Amino acid sequence: MNELPNSVAHATAPPSSNWKQKAKFQKRLFILLATIPAFGGYILFTLYPNLLSVYYSLLNWDGIKDPVYVGMQNFKDMLQDDYVWRALWHNVLLMVTVTPLVVFISIILAYLLANKGYRFNSVFKVLFFFPNVLSLVAVSLLWSFVYDGSFGLLNAGLRLIGVDIGNYYWLGEKKAALWATIPPSVWGAVGFYFVIFLNAMSTIPKSLYEAAILEGASHRVRLFKITIPLMTPIIRVAVLFLMLGVFKGFENILILTNGGPSGSTDVIGLYMFNIAFGTGIHNYGYASAIGMMLFVILVAAKLVIDKFTTNRDSEY
Amino acid sequence: MRERRTIVDAWWYIILLIWSVTILFPMIWVFYESLKTNQEFFQSVWNLPREMQWSNYKDAWKEYGIGSAMVNTVYYVGASLVIGTFLTAINAYVLTRLEFRGRKLMWGVIMLSLFLPGINALIPQYILMRDLHLTNSLTGIVILDSFSESAFYLMMLSGFMQSLPKELEESGAIDGASIFQIFFKIIMPLSTAGIVTVAIFKCLGLYNNFLGPFIYLGSPEKYTIGVAMYQASQIMQYKADWVTLFAGLMITMIPLVLMYIFLQRRIMEGATLGAVKG
Repeated sequence: MNELPNSVAHATAPPSSNWKQKAKFQKRLFILLATIPAFGGYILFTLYPNLLSVYYSLLNWDGIKDPVYVGMQNFKDMLQDDYVWRALWHNVLLMVTVTPLVVFISIILAYLLANKGYRFNSVFKVLFFFPNVLSLVAVSLLWSFVYDGSFGLLNAGLRLIGVDIGNYYWLGEKKAALWATIPPSVWGAVGFYFVIFLNAMSTIPKSLYEAAILEGASHRVRLFKITIPLMTPIIRVAVLFLMLGVFKGFENILILTNGGPSGSTDVIGLYMFNIAFGTGIHNYGYASAIGMMLFVILVAAKLVIDKFTTNRDSEY
Repeated sequence: MRERRTIVDAWWYIILLIWSVTILFPMIWVFYESLKTNQEFFQSVWNLPREMQWSNYKDAWKEYGIGSAMVNTVYYVGASLVIGTFLTAINAYVLTRLEFRGRKLMWGVIMLSLFLPGINALIPQYILMRDLHLTNSLTGIVILDSFSESAFYLMMLSGFMQSLPKELEESGAIDGASIFQIFFKIIMPLSTAGIVTVAIFKCLGLYNNFLGPFIYLGSPEKYTIGVAMYQASQIMQYKADWVTLFAGLMITMIPLVLMYIFLQRRIMEGATLGAVKG
């Protein structure tokens, strides 16, 4: 601004129109510089692929040869594809096991820490949350070691309590593998929901419990008659989020078993992933069609969640 | 209000201890197994190593490429973190504290991403990256991960910036500061706490990211730590060098453990903050 004669002569003079214009121009430039890279990147790398996936689902395309437009054929094939239904069934089994286990364990742990005032409370809190910062790769590898038939911790532990099942490969047996993927998911997820529930519990007024204690209510009564009813909204959201997460998650299974043995742990996301990126022949069109189906289901579920979350504030 | 301690309490306390053990013991187990020889390793799960085989760590670092993977990871996480956090910060500022045409529309379009599950976009995104010649390149995934904005972090930081007093810009403008100066000299320093929280979460997310690097990085010398560990575990079926793999897993977890030890309060607070909003 030194080039303005005004400002040299009168230091306190109001900004000239020239100065204002310059500031306006600077502001515009700033807004452009600030938004174009991030917003442009978002359009290019997020929105555009999402739109494109609709088109891809109508193609027969291996990614190399020219794509062939096939209309709804992929979706028709999908309905006939037993592997799709098998994978979806596995998803359902995981959703109805992992979700209640995570919610149940997190609530119990949170309740114990919130209401019992044990020593080392904060140590427990820090420890319980820890698996949540570990990567899926670390958690999955860790558990694959635990499950190993020859050197695994699980078989050794069972032997210690007198159950010798030999070199049983938990992740290699068709009957056991799917169930064996449940504990790693639960183990990895409890920490997060535990902290969420713990925070929610700390907002429940102490006076409510005091009244119940005077009436002689046991911990079990207090947990089921006071704590859980007051936390219903947040538990409901947690359940829905967990179900969605289990439904679309497949990285843990990719690392643990990659769907094997012979497809007994295949889930829908992994099935799609392997059609698109696996070692066999790629079929981007068909995989995209499965992706579209997942998209529709997940967006619908998300809309339902939003309906729940808008009126989640409970009154005491 | 204190209650009397009873026998039942002891049972509950045992539950807490059991859960603690399920978390701690597998870690400790991986640690002491990683210091055994392969012979000792197969003898018994419970025995401690007779002699600490620190060379396992050296082998993992060199032979299974954990060392070069760590270098790649530092580049990938570092670059994406710096660029991504800066873009989020400047964007949050513009979208919350400046008035301009199209602002609401832009915000709405970004918030749309909260509804996108992302799984259906994996394939088109891959084709796009392939057409841009960004596959099998660390810089490629840096570009992908730092420019594809996350509505979640943007919301986190916007909330923080909204709480700063409105007079900041005005007094800055009166003193003759340009908007660039206002942002870099006033807003950024005052938002440090929010920016650091966002950066911590981005850092954890990037370090733990597996699927992106797994899809995009083809050649072993470009692997990030997660992909390198996965590939190393795959070849173990033919090459039963488990102690070295255990050492590799320890190396993978060390940065996370350190981050958690130093930043646990921020991490736990931030996690619930996101949950309340999102």
